[in-house]
Amino acid sequence: MAAQAKSGGLPRWLTSEHPLPWLFPVTSLLIVFGLYPVLYSLWLSFYKRNPATRTEKFLPSFNWNKLIGDDRVWDAVQVTFTYAVIALSIQLVLGMLIALLLDSDRKGFGVFRALMTLPLVVPPAVTGMMFLLMYDSSFGVISNSLYALNLLSPDKPILGTGSTALWGVIVADVWQWTPFMVLIMLAGLRALPREPFEAASIDGASSIQSFFFLTLPMMSKIIALAVLVRGIDLFRIFDYVKVMTDSGPGTATETLTAYAGTVYFKSANFSYASTVALATLILVLVVSTVFIKIFKIRF
Amino acid sequence: MASVKISKLEKQYGLLKVLHSLDLEIADGKFVVLLGPSGCGKSTLLRMIAGLEKITSGDVFFDDVRVNDVHSKDRNIAMVFQNYALYAHMTVRKNMAFSMRLKNIDKKIQDEKVAWASSILGLDDYLDRLPKELSGGQRQRVAMGRAIVRDPDVFLFDEPLSNLDAKLRVQMRTEIKDLHQRLKTTTVYVTHDQIEAMTMADEVVIMQDGRIIQSGSPMEIYDNPNSLFVAQFIGSPGMNIIECDVAEKAGVKSANHESLCLPLPSDAKVEVGQKIFYGIRPEHLTANKEPSAESNSSLTIEPGVVRVVEPTGPETHVYSKLAGQDVCSISRERITWSPGEAIHLQPDLQHVHLFDGQTQVAL
Ligand SMILES: Nc1ncnc2c1ncn2[C@@H]1O[C@H](COP(=O)(O)OP(=O)(O)O)[C@@H](O)[C@H]1O
Ligand SMILES: [Mg+2]
Repeated sequence: MAAQAKSGGLPRWLTSEHPLPWLFPVTSLLIVFGLYPVLYSLWLSFYKRNPATRTEKFLPSFNWNKLIGDDRVWDAVQVTFTYAVIALSIQLVLGMLIALLLDSDRKGFGVFRALMTLPLVVPPAVTGMMFLLMYDSSFGVISNSLYALNLLSPDKPILGTGSTALWGVIVADVWQWTPFMVLIMLAGLRALPREPFEAASIDGASSIQSFFFLTLPMMSKIIALAVLVRGIDLFRIFDYVKVMTDSGPGTATETLTAYAGTVYFKSANFSYASTVALATLILVLVVSTVFIKIFKIRF
Repeated sequence: MASVKISKLEKQYGLLKVLHSLDLEIADGKFVVLLGPSGCGKSTLLRMIAGLEKITSGDVFFDDVRVNDVHSKDRNIAMVFQNYALYAHMTVRKNMAFSMRLKNIDKKIQDEKVAWASSILGLDDYLDRLPKELSGGQRQRVAMGRAIVRDPDVFLFDEPLSNLDAKLRVQMRTEIKDLHQRLKTTTVYVTHDQIEAMTMADEVVIMQDGRIIQSGSPMEIYDNPNSLFVAQFIGSPGMNIIECDVAEKAGVKSANHESLCLPLPSDAKVEVGQKIFYGIRPEHLTANKEPSAESNSSLTIEPGVVRVVEPTGPETHVYSKLAGQDVCSISRERITWSPGEAIHLQPDLQHVHLFDGQTQVAL
């Protein structure tokens, strides 16, 4: 009787003591905006679409076979990997170096730490536009500086040349996302206990030795996590490429997501675009799972 | 090996001065114990010798070389930290071998040294464990091991035994002393445990509130404490202290506390009316059932009342009330008195300690 009065007559799994009602809002959001689109894409990828007649036919293996045989896909995989690995390496090393520099209580460094977050709040498309202007072959500040240093000639614009275009995009990515690495590394450095470093100094370790023997191993979990988060993001790179090069010149900067976008918007082949997008998702899942297994990351 | 000299050393944290102009000389090969209550600045002093704490003013010398600006990695010292400071991601073996690994010492020598240290410290079965898989006492022993595999000029210990159980503590005390007698390395050992200080030290340095109060061999300090603080700090059970006024009756001075009248040594430098602290160690206070005939003073002390009798084996501690004051006496005989019995207490006048009532300095 008493128990019934307390629960107001509701079944137990609907009362506040049960986790289900609490999980409901976020679960429903995830289902609507996460699970449903993926399942819908999967369903789309099983149809062969004829963009000319705007008709679809259920042919489950058609798009997937096309994907395997599509050179542009393999090209895009290569570009995506190159982009992700290079950008990640630079951001990781640079992030760690800056974090080490900022991890001191010298006066004025607090301002730098605050300024570090600035690039993070700029929308990526805006960052892309900004760098597009700075790269401009006639008035761009970066191009002009490079001309002055004789590192670049006006007939080979950075974003218009196959060999440099990807680097141009990576620079924008590095500018925007290195602060993210810095913040994570800084949080990690700040959380390190002081005593082992004192012990190491007494044991005769130089600061470089302390860094490699203590700091790095003690931060390995945090570094791995930062690499994972950033890596997943980099595999889905779209904004910078779309704004700055639109996959060009040719397909020199065409990543998987950019290719999916092209197929979707330019060819209006929705089902094949879904297939390419799903392929990206699968790639990210595989790579990150392997990474988590190797570095034994626990959440 | 090196001698250590400290001259006018001061330490200030912001506005808080924690060390006040310390002077200390530690001869080469000596075992010096810094003894004092918690918070008196022992660790701070030790860390300044180690080069881990900035020196506010004053100097530290190793072998007459000023080391104020020498980085701790270049001071060739070994230190055991109060909170172990182990390398959490390294096994016990790697923790101990770390200093040798940094110096690129031959792997075989590294293994030998680690094996030697781990056998002394009883860590043989734990060499491949991580610190988090060890108990507090085991971790402390790893920290010890990390220090003794070195061949340092100076050993620094910061309360290395505080987390061990009683039996292991006694055992390690002996190990450390034995190690020092074999290696003859200058050692500075911090503790708040006066028994550790008494048993291990060549020289004890007593600190209070950032000042050195007294230093000397353990027995010197035990026999001649220069202040009430030292007298109370050293010895267990502690010295009996009774606050008294000096009075004179028939040409004989005595120390009076209410109805209690205590005899004074004939050479006592006290004046009538002076407030003093009268100190007598338990082993110099004889308790008897009958008033003793061979009393070495004309005064008879009023009887005390037994509260607790504690047999420890070799000796018996008798806690009693004497004119409202708690006093303890130690006897080598096996005493079987029961609480409430009246006893007669007689101080050995050669071992009475007198301290000024105001300055608390020995008279
Ligand atoms: N980093 C610090 N900042 C401010 N005060 C400190 C700091 N470290 C120690 N102290 C103060 O200095 C005094 C001595 O500390 P410490 O040397 O650790 O004492 P002990 O080792 O004798 O217990 C204490 O009063 C403590 O509060
Ligand atoms: Mg301390």
